[in-house]
Amino acid sequence: MLELWSPATRYGLWRRLWLALAEAERELGVAIPDEAIQQMHANLDNIDFKAVAAYEKRFRHDVMAHVHAFGDVAPAAKPFIHLGATSAYVTDNADLILMRRGLDLLRARTLDVLHSLAAFAEKWRDQPTLGYTHLQPAQLTTVGKRATLWMQDLVLDVQDIDYRRRTLPFRGVKGTTGTQASFLELFEGDHEKVRRLDQLVTERVSFPRALAVTGQTYTRKLDAFVLSVVAGVAASAAKFSGDIRMLQSFGEMEEPFESEQVGSSAMAYKRNPMRAERIASLARFVNSLEGNANQTHAVQYFERTLDDSANRRLVIPEMFLATDAILLLVANISSGLEVYPAVIGRRVAAELPFMATEQLIVRAVRAGGDRQVVHETIRKHSLAAARAIKEGADSNDLLERLSKDKSLGVRLQDLRGAIDPRRFVGRAPEQVDEFLRDVITPLFAGETARPERAEELRV
Amino acid sequence: MLMQESALPLTPFRRGKVRDVYEVDAGRLLIVATDRVSAFDVVMGETIPQKGAVLTQITAWWLGRLEDKVDHHMLSANISEIVRQVPQLRGHEQELRGRAMLCRRTTVFPIECVVRGYLSGSAWKEYRERGTLAGEALPKGLRESDRLEPPIFSPATKADLGHDENITIDRMRSLIGEPAARELERLSRAIYEAGRAIAATRGIIIADTKFEFGRSKSTGGEGVEKVILVDEVLTPDSSRFWPADSYEPGHGQSSFDKQPLRDYLDAEKRAGRWDGNYPPPRLPKEVIDATSERYLDIYRRLTGHSLDPNGSH
Repeated sequence: MLELWSPATRYGLWRRLWLALAEAERELGVAIPDEAIQQMHANLDNIDFKAVAAYEKRFRHDVMAHVHAFGDVAPAAKPFIHLGATSAYVTDNADLILMRRGLDLLRARTLDVLHSLAAFAEKWRDQPTLGYTHLQPAQLTTVGKRATLWMQDLVLDVQDIDYRRRTLPFRGVKGTTGTQASFLELFEGDHEKVRRLDQLVTERVSFPRALAVTGQTYTRKLDAFVLSVVAGVAASAAKFSGDIRMLQSFGEMEEPFESEQVGSSAMAYKRNPMRAERIASLARFVNSLEGNANQTHAVQYFERTLDDSANRRLVIPEMFLATDAILLLVANISSGLEVYPAVIGRRVAAELPFMATEQLIVRAVRAGGDRQVVHETIRKHSLAAARAIKEGADSNDLLERLSKDKSLGVRLQDLRGAIDPRRFVGRAPEQVDEFLRDVITPLFAGETARPERAEELRV
Repeated sequence: MLMQESALPLTPFRRGKVRDVYEVDAGRLLIVATDRVSAFDVVMGETIPQKGAVLTQITAWWLGRLEDKVDHHMLSANISEIVRQVPQLRGHEQELRGRAMLCRRTTVFPIECVVRGYLSGSAWKEYRERGTLAGEALPKGLRESDRLEPPIFSPATKADLGHDENITIDRMRSLIGEPAARELERLSRAIYEAGRAIAATRGIIIADTKFEFGRSKSTGGEGVEKVILVDEVLTPDSSRFWPADSYEPGHGQSSFDKQPLRDYLDAEKRAGRWDGNYPPPRLPKEVIDATSERYLDIYRRLTGHSLDPNGSH
């Protein structure tokens, strides 16, 4: 991703766009010699950035600086580079190509994460754990089922990426105010050739179509569309990181912790969820920029104003780079998550007797009790047990209290049997199986073999 | 003469990646196939000599062979005859030789009629993911490139953006009506099976193909609208052509027409000289010639004679 947003990639793309324009103009009858095309072709990545800097200092214009630097290494092409075009021809079209490739990279990373989480969900498919609503213990779920919630968000993001990727249009060849006037001049009033030029260049760079109309630039709504998808990925990761941080606080799960990692400079025993916290930190940065793109679009006046430019140069690359970093962190965490079933079990045991009261009532009635009386009895004991815990008891003794209450006439052993956690997880394990089978497997089946990822988490 | 662009004294009607369509008058169109070629979704900078002529003449040849099965839109693919019928094209004979086809205008059904006789491409992908093709379950255990018996009819609509969208036969019925849907499926199967059988005797597997049909503007006898085969027919651009002698199910097959080009581009990719994006490498003359020769070879094999540069039909 860093390479994608590098000057070498961006300005290499500008040169490719100049080549595509010259090739297409030549096809349509502009007298551009083959030597010019060859020299352009041979120098696409031969960019002398010092020369560019010197030109830019003179011209105060980045596109013209690059035109001249390209012309220096492709002298036969010099008279033809940028013929008929306005700066936005290279700047805007290159941005669209970069964003489209950026979406591809984010998609690949998201699939990496889904691979790790799929293995995790399968392994822990039936490990009962406390579910939470209102951040209060609620009915049980399983560790694997919770992972499918994280996964589903990312699958939805992938679908969104795919849609945007597939439908993202090209700016194309439109001229200074989007009217194609300079090209109409170039082709001596031949409207068909001007239309064809737009189409030829668009085909060459493998976009499905060019926008039908533009001002000088493509509508900045496209940036807002793409960046909203990027922000969506970041938001999904942030939700994941929040859960991890809380689970680590509960002691139920931990993000990977290296053998020599230091948790705190002062509190030597500490194991902080610092990777998940970094996700939260970066995701907040990304999400804070999402609205920026719509604001830029909103304040573009008439055919374009330049107040988009400096802003976009920061916002677009930074959102992609930060989200890429976020996904690297999510991949790292999700492939090395530690689960502590003993802690999870203790926390379940502390809450489960309360949750099981509905079933306890049924048992007691079956043993001959009156439903209303039983309910009142259990309510009193529940409150007493809860108070005892808050006042320092080491465990939830509701079952013991109930078994000692002669009016109920149930045995402790029977009560224990009634609160096997596996009976409280509903269809969670089956939902994991079904989700992996129906959603994840088809998603991966369409993918070619995963390339080895060279990038590791460095900090 | 090589040609990438045709600029004719006719009104452009539609321009595709490789073919341009012009309006001659209210009743006729001129379809011109260019020599442009794409591979791996990228259009090459160079053109392939004779490719356009081969595509047009293969279509013309098939239409002649299929006349007992289906009405078609071709009036002529012979340049002298075309210029005789459309005098304003005089002077453009050189650039149109072999590659132009004069056609009757029809109202085209908005359906791509795809017939698959072998499991390949997006059909293989769908089968591998879900065990289905066009939403219908297929037998388990099929391998990539396996022959499908009977062939499978899988219609698609022309999507606005890029790739066509597969639809169910029910959806096709609701789009064009039950009788037309039945007729398009019947014709597609009949033409494909006839074509597949003929090509097989010439060492070519036509793995799958795509047809388009139109309705005649004037109705036939008893007021029934006739269904007419339009567009290109059983060409290497509208179909997958595989060499029969190297056919081996279990993996993807080589492409009869584009393999020299793909091999070259693959080698450039492996050598790190091409990243798959624009621009593709410049094609050496040997690769251009070998690809051109492939197209001519396909024409010779199918028809049993060499390409007549004027267009023989």
